[in-house]
Amino acid sequence: MNFKNLFIYWRTVLMVAEMTIRQQLNDGFVIFTILLQPMIIAILGLYMLKDKGPQYAMFVVVGSGLTGLWSSLLFISGNSISWERWGGMLEALVGVPTPFEVIVFGKNLANVIQSLLSMIVAYIFAALFFGYSLNIDQPFLFILSLVLSVFAFISFGLTIAPVFVMYRGVQQWQNAMEFPIYILAGFLFPIALLPNWTTPISYFLPPYWAARALHGTSTAGASLEQTLLAWGMMIVFSIIDLFIASWLFKVMLYKARVDATLNTE
Amino acid sequence: MMNAIVINHLRRVYRATIGVIRRSIKEVVAVDDISFEIGEGELFGLLGPNGAGKTTTVKVLATLLIPNSGSVSILGFDIVKDANEVRKRIGFIFGGERGLYWRLSGIDNLRYFASLYHVDPDVAKKRIPYLLELVGLKDRGNERAEGYSRGMKQRLHVARTLLHDPGILFLDEPTIGLDPVGAREFRQVILDLQSENKTILLTTHYMFEADSLCQRIAIIDQGRIVALDTPAGLKKHVSDLSVIEVEIYGAPQQVIDGLRALSFVDSLSVEERDQRQMLLVQTPRGAEAVPDVMSALNGQRIGRVIVREPTLEDAYVRLVGGKV
Repeated sequence: MNFKNLFIYWRTVLMVAEMTIRQQLNDGFVIFTILLQPMIIAILGLYMLKDKGPQYAMFVVVGSGLTGLWSSLLFISGNSISWERWGGMLEALVGVPTPFEVIVFGKNLANVIQSLLSMIVAYIFAALFFGYSLNIDQPFLFILSLVLSVFAFISFGLTIAPVFVMYRGVQQWQNAMEFPIYILAGFLFPIALLPNWTTPISYFLPPYWAARALHGTSTAGASLEQTLLAWGMMIVFSIIDLFIASWLFKVMLYKARVDATLNTE
Repeated sequence: MMNAIVINHLRRVYRATIGVIRRSIKEVVAVDDISFEIGEGELFGLLGPNGAGKTTTVKVLATLLIPNSGSVSILGFDIVKDANEVRKRIGFIFGGERGLYWRLSGIDNLRYFASLYHVDPDVAKKRIPYLLELVGLKDRGNERAEGYSRGMKQRLHVARTLLHDPGILFLDEPTIGLDPVGAREFRQVILDLQSENKTILLTTHYMFEADSLCQRIAIIDQGRIVALDTPAGLKKHVSDLSVIEVEIYGAPQQVIDGLRALSFVDSLSVEERDQRQMLLVQTPRGAEAVPDVMSALNGQRIGRVIVREPTLEDAYVRLVGGKV
């Protein structure tokens, strides 16, 4: 792939993201997943931890934002290909010269950007209604962590969507996959509180490293080495995810063209 | 004339799993060893009854289905190995309203697909208003597609298909469901496109549409090409016949079957029209056969009876054995 193609694909990603956001602003399910549900979790968390001080409030704000990111990734990005199929759009999208994974990347980018809104909403909520003065410990490193987290979540989402299309049995477990990740990735409380045997599972989850980098730079006073480790793991997982996704998309599209399953008619 | 599309022994089979406990795989041959070429700038028609293999053929050509055997090349590119090169050079429309984002405006749908077809944004900015004007949606482009009529959606499909100015167009039953005025306007758009030297493959159920638009027509039935010729050439298949049209009210099936079995009846098709049926009897005996037809329908309530020359539709009926 040359630089010109890369530029064209990036332009396409931005266009897909823009159009996805325009459509989803009218979708009640999306609004619930990215805004209302994280806000409910933030309120519950803030009440439960209201005596622990403002540092915990920031932890809850970041954690509830992460729950929004994961839920939108699991449900909205995970179902994105199936929704295009049900809506009769899949043939039109597969029949264009843009690789289909570039289109899904743009959709995931839109979902992740919208999900970040939930973090901002939780932040405003905690500041206005609970009166916390919320400071980010290491703002510059936090923003970099956020950028890498966005990339890690998008890449992870690219592996989920084709798996859900090819293996419907896996998709049946979609609901069951939501809350365990909240816990195992340490979104709302540190994984040190969990039994030791769960720790290796957490290490294999890209959302865990995203949560570690974001919590570490916002509240936990992480050392630079700890932050760099989390960044490194996110980059490694993102690259692995992109390779796996690229292979999965090839297999999925070839199979769909053989089995005639690009549309539902 | 150079060939834009070359189809060589194309075969496509669908497999479906049937049964719950004892599962078995059922194979349906949708396209069975078809071969033909379409020249550059030609408007080529593919006619056939439902389930004949028209849409499957178009989907294979549009790189959306992989053939079981045979090969297809489009402008020299193989549709399986060079799918992406083919996609840059073709546009396709499948009949119906799907294939657009209803929550987006017409303009946003076009902006989106222009990007997916790698159209430079500056070029797209000029091309989108031009295409909206071409398809008669200039004043409705900012409205959401969900508010469009079926005909408007179909015309937006055309605009979408032309965004990257492809040399080859696949139009699969594009006028289906359109009102007569909309269908006529659409046919004019097809002729305008052909005058720009675009190669067009059109599938349709409407014989007069194929007759008036297409330079050559292939008739496909049960996955096989049963005839391929110019419209005039196809009509020669029935030049030895005349058609007796009989308007009849509620004739039982055994009466129709009895008429069909008569030795002078070459083929017979029935068109249902509200309370009436129109029997189309093809016969080499012409007007002489009318008394025998009347006696076969003795006791039935009969309306108009007309004897006329055969049309492309009659040729089609003869070739596909009475299936319309």
